[in-house]
Amino acid sequence: MDNNNEDYRLREVKCPTGFNWSNLKAELRAVWAANIKDWKIEFAYPESFFRQLISPLVFLLPFLLYGLVLVGGRYSDDLAQLVGTGDIVTFIFTGYMLMGFIGTAVWAMGFSIRMERWFGTLEAIYVTPTSRLGQVLGMALHSTIHQSIGTLIQFIVIYLTFGLALKIEGILPALGIFALMMIALYGFGIVVSAVGLLLKEGWMVSDGLYSIMMILSPVAYPLTVLPTVAQQISTAFPTAPALIGMRSFLMEGYQPEVIINVFLHLIVLGAVWILFGILVFRLVDVYVRKRGMLKKF
Amino acid sequence: METVYQQSPLRSNLSVVWNELVKNIKFLLAYPVIIVFWAIFPIFWFIPFILQGQAFVGGLTSESFAQATGTSEFIPFIVIGAVLNSYVGTLLNGMGDNIRREALQGTLDYVLAAPCNKASVLIGKALSESLSSTIFAISQLAISTLLFGLGISLGVMLPVFFIIILLILGLYGLSLIFAALSLMYKQSHGFGQTVGYVFYVFSPVRYPIESLPFWAQIFGKLLPLTYAIIIVRSLMLLGADLSALYVEVLVLLIIDVVLILAGFYLFNWMEEKTKKSGTISHH
Repeated sequence: MDNNNEDYRLREVKCPTGFNWSNLKAELRAVWAANIKDWKIEFAYPESFFRQLISPLVFLLPFLLYGLVLVGGRYSDDLAQLVGTGDIVTFIFTGYMLMGFIGTAVWAMGFSIRMERWFGTLEAIYVTPTSRLGQVLGMALHSTIHQSIGTLIQFIVIYLTFGLALKIEGILPALGIFALMMIALYGFGIVVSAVGLLLKEGWMVSDGLYSIMMILSPVAYPLTVLPTVAQQISTAFPTAPALIGMRSFLMEGYQPEVIINVFLHLIVLGAVWILFGILVFRLVDVYVRKRGMLKKF
Repeated sequence: METVYQQSPLRSNLSVVWNELVKNIKFLLAYPVIIVFWAIFPIFWFIPFILQGQAFVGGLTSESFAQATGTSEFIPFIVIGAVLNSYVGTLLNGMGDNIRREALQGTLDYVLAAPCNKASVLIGKALSESLSSTIFAISQLAISTLLFGLGISLGVMLPVFFIIILLILGLYGLSLIFAALSLMYKQSHGFGQTVGYVFYVFSPVRYPIESLPFWAQIFGKLLPLTYAIIIVRSLMLLGADLSALYVEVLVLLIIDVVLILAGFYLFNWMEEKTKKSGTISHH
């Protein structure tokens, strides 16, 4: 039928409902559409797009240069005693590579709702016959792809400038760990986006959570330098086990005996964070709509 | 007979500066969570560097670090750099954001149409930004001193305060340039963030400038933050006298003058341009 045909335009559209394959496909289409929408907005501001692409590199460089000045070279005996490898460049790179994806969870997902509110499109999105979570996941997908490109640029520059001692055969299992970590981070991001619906100054929550997770994750140092309480709290977040697991696969000399624990830990965290995220989002969603808070900012 | 109330130009301008300052402080006080955030959270941003140092050198001092910086204690080095760098975050975008906020709230037309010198308005905005930044910096320094046991001699605080004023003046200049861009292009925040990246990498916030490649050192030496950090660290960590650092102070002064003159010129030019095009209240 011709798209301009009046019969076509006035046809009855049946929205699939319930937990079935056609509904899932429809939700996935909505997730993809939200992703595409974010890319279009992003390309409308090319200066901001390029700045965000290089930001993973910009934030990594101070950690590397500071580490090199501290140690007076590339190898630290003290780090080797703590984790089995003394190559500070590879250690910091593998850690910071993942930090950007925490930003995906706390900034892109958490802030997505807030941005829609600023643009004045949140109510319009809310009345579309799709899952609200699908919108958040669409924004997360865009951000994950964006961050991946930034991480690739980061990898190329660091590899060409400093060189990286990575085990090629470890890349595939490391990607498996990465995928498990992202599932848990998405759950965490859903919680943050729910908080963004509630609070006027949601950016502070995002920034605060990012800063705390940065401290509790073994990005530029092993967890053993943290106080015991902080080490215990860090086990509730996916970044700590993911970083330990990925480094075990990617770096020479890193302890491999922890790997099974890491996989189990991440599977449990993924399930818990996703369920918790969905629950919190549903509760907040009902609360803000009942109170008519959607348009407030 | 009609009575005309007249006030001396100086008094009028001071009144504008004062009222602009009070207005912005009232605005800040309306959001106490923001005050708490900026007073505490920047500390969380440099804690990873301190923990990294402990893991890499197995203690709180490093001989290699001493060779590069003159001090073996990396914690005060990091704290001083981070606290001074916090001025960049708040001042660089502060003025542009302030102007943009006026546009969003629909008050920019009134501010610019008011029969007063626009420089007074800008000075009032700048003073409020620097006052809040200084309160946040003092709070961060005090918390860091308690947390990490830093030994800060009060005797050096006067010359340090003088250098901070010079740093603020330089950042005012840059901030004025962003405010001018904000009038014309509306989204100066992104540009401010990009310049913030430049400060973050090319200034000696976390490492000595000598550890950068030669081309990057030249770039870093054009930034007011570089000289402010070098002077403050020399005063506070190495016990140097301000008179021994006259070259750095002089260069910082020259950078300040250039940036402020460029900022005022650009702002006046952009204001005229936007008035003519009728796009002042656009956002």
